[in-house]
Amino acid sequence: MEIDREDGRTPNQLRPLACSRNILHRPHGSASWSQGDTKVLAAVYGPKAGTKKNENAEKACFEVIWKPKTGQIGKVEKEYEMIMKRTIQSICVLTVNPNTTTSVIIQVVHDDGSLLPCAINAACAALVDAGIPMKHLAVAICCCLADNGYLVLDPNKLEEKKMTAFAYLVFPNTTLSVLPEGSSVGEGEPVEHGIITSVTHGVMSVDDYFLCVENGRAATASLSAFFRKNFQQSSSKVG
Amino acid sequence: MEGRLNNMWRLTVNESKFVESALQSELRVDGRGLYDYRKLTIKFGKESGSSEVQLGQTHVMAFVTAQLVQPYKDRPNEGSFSIFTEFSPMADPSFEPGHPGESAVELGRIIDRALRESRAVDTESLCVLAGKLVWSVRIDLHILDNGGNLVDAANIAALAALLTFRRPDCTVGGENSQEVIIHPPEEREPLPLIIHHLPIAFTFGFFNKGSILVMDPTYVEEAVMCGRMTVTVNANGDICAIQKPGEEGVNQSVILHCLRLASSRAAATTKIIREAVEAYNRERSSQKVKRHHTLAKSEVSGPIVVV
Repeated sequence: MEIDREDGRTPNQLRPLACSRNILHRPHGSASWSQGDTKVLAAVYGPKAGTKKNENAEKACFEVIWKPKTGQIGKVEKEYEMIMKRTIQSICVLTVNPNTTTSVIIQVVHDDGSLLPCAINAACAALVDAGIPMKHLAVAICCCLADNGYLVLDPNKLEEKKMTAFAYLVFPNTTLSVLPEGSSVGEGEPVEHGIITSVTHGVMSVDDYFLCVENGRAATASLSAFFRKNFQQSSSKVG
Repeated sequence: MEGRLNNMWRLTVNESKFVESALQSELRVDGRGLYDYRKLTIKFGKESGSSEVQLGQTHVMAFVTAQLVQPYKDRPNEGSFSIFTEFSPMADPSFEPGHPGESAVELGRIIDRALRESRAVDTESLCVLAGKLVWSVRIDLHILDNGGNLVDAANIAALAALLTFRRPDCTVGGENSQEVIIHPPEEREPLPLIIHHLPIAFTFGFFNKGSILVMDPTYVEEAVMCGRMTVTVNANGDICAIQKPGEEGVNQSVILHCLRLASSRAAATTKIIREAVEAYNRERSSQKVKRHHTLAKSEVSGPIVVV
C-alpha cells in the first residue's frame, strides 16, 4: 500500500532543489540552498590565522555559527553547530592549512522540515564557493518512518510532526570516476561510501534504520547529480 | 579573542587617501553622485512578515512575529513591539557572534525610536483584553552583508516586513467574555497591522571636517568618513528622529541642508516601498488559502474582513 503524501509526492521523491552561490559580497564564499520551502543561507570566512584554545594547532580548525530565524540561541542550535562542525571536519582536508580557523555561518531563512540536511548541503556549496580544500562533498538527506511502517524521504514540517521517527543521514557524494587501486575496502564496500553522519529522533527498529540508510543512499545519487550540474554551470559561466 | 582582531579588515592608507581626494572633486569611488542612492530591491519571503532588502551590496532580512502577552501595568490598553538586531558574523568578519555590540544596539534604537515615538505602529489596536492580554510584536533584523549604510537598509526591511505581516484574528468569548479564541489562518483571514505612516531613515556621511556631504555611504566610505548623521523623515514632511552620535562638529547650515535633502527624498522611497508591498499582496491574494467554515464555529458572528 502506497502512502499518500499531502503534496502528491511519492515516498522517495525529493522536493524541488535550488542552489545559488556567491550571493553575498563580504564573505569569501556564500550559498543559499532550498529544498521546497525550507531555505538556508550559508557564508564562509576563512581561513583566518590562529586556532581556538582547545583545538589542535597542527590541523585546520572549523567553527560553525548557527543563526535561527527568531529567538535566542538555545541548546538545539548548539547541537546543530556541533554536528555540522564534526561533519565539515570529516570532509575537509585538514592538513593543507594548519593553525587556521575557517568560520561557517548558517542563517535559517525558512524552516519547512528537514532543516539540518538543508543546512549541511548549503554549507558544502558555500565551502566550494570559498575554495576550501575538501575530499568530497557531504550530501545530506532526511528519512522518516510513518507509524504504518512506511519510509518517506525529505518530509516537510507537517509530515515531520506526524512521523514516529526520523533520521538525518549524511553521505559522501557519489563518484563518477573509478576508485583508485588499493583503496581500503570493508566488507565488500569501499570505506569512502560509508555514512558520515547520522542523527536519529524517535524509536525505530534496526531493520527500519538500515532501510532508511539504503533509501537515503539511493537518493544521494540525485542530490549529487544536482550538485554537480549546479557547480559545472557556474564554472563554465566564469570561464 | 585576539585571533579575531587579527583578521579584521583594515582600510589601507592608499585607499583612504584615494576616497578623500576623489570626494574633493565631487567624485565617488563607485561613480555615483554625492546624493545618489544605490539600487534598492525589496523581496518578500514565504511567510507573512518576512522581507529581504538589498541596497547595493548591503543585504538585510527582517522577520516579524507576534504573540499574546500581558500588557505593561501603566499601559493596559496598548500592545507593544520590540526590535531585536543581529549583526550576524556573516555580514562582516569583525562582527562577533553572541551579545549585540554597540553598533547593533544603536541601529536597533534608531529604528525603534522612529517607529515608537512617532506612533507609526498603532499599538491600541493590538489590545485584545484590556489589562490581561495584548499582542506583542517582535521584529528581528538580520544583517547578512555589510556593504555600508546598514541603518537605511534595515529601516526599509523593518517597514516592509511590518506592512506585510498578518496577525491571527482572535475573538473574545466564553463566560464573562474572558476567554480568548485565536483563529488559525485556515479558519479566518489574518489581519494586517495598522501603520499610520512610514518613517524612512537617510544616512549622511561627513568628510573633510564637515565640508563634504555624502548620502548612502558604502563600507569603504564609512571607514574614511569623519562623522555621520541619520535623519528619519516620513512622506508628510515630519521629522521623526535625528541621530548624530558625536564625532566631528558640523555647521548648522549643513544640518539644515541634510534635513531638506532627506525630506525631498522621502516621498520617492515611500512610493517604492508601497509599490513593492502592493505587488506582493496582489500575488498573495491570487494564491489565497481556501477557507471552510467548520460547523462548530458557525455561531461566531461578524463578517470576515478581506484586505
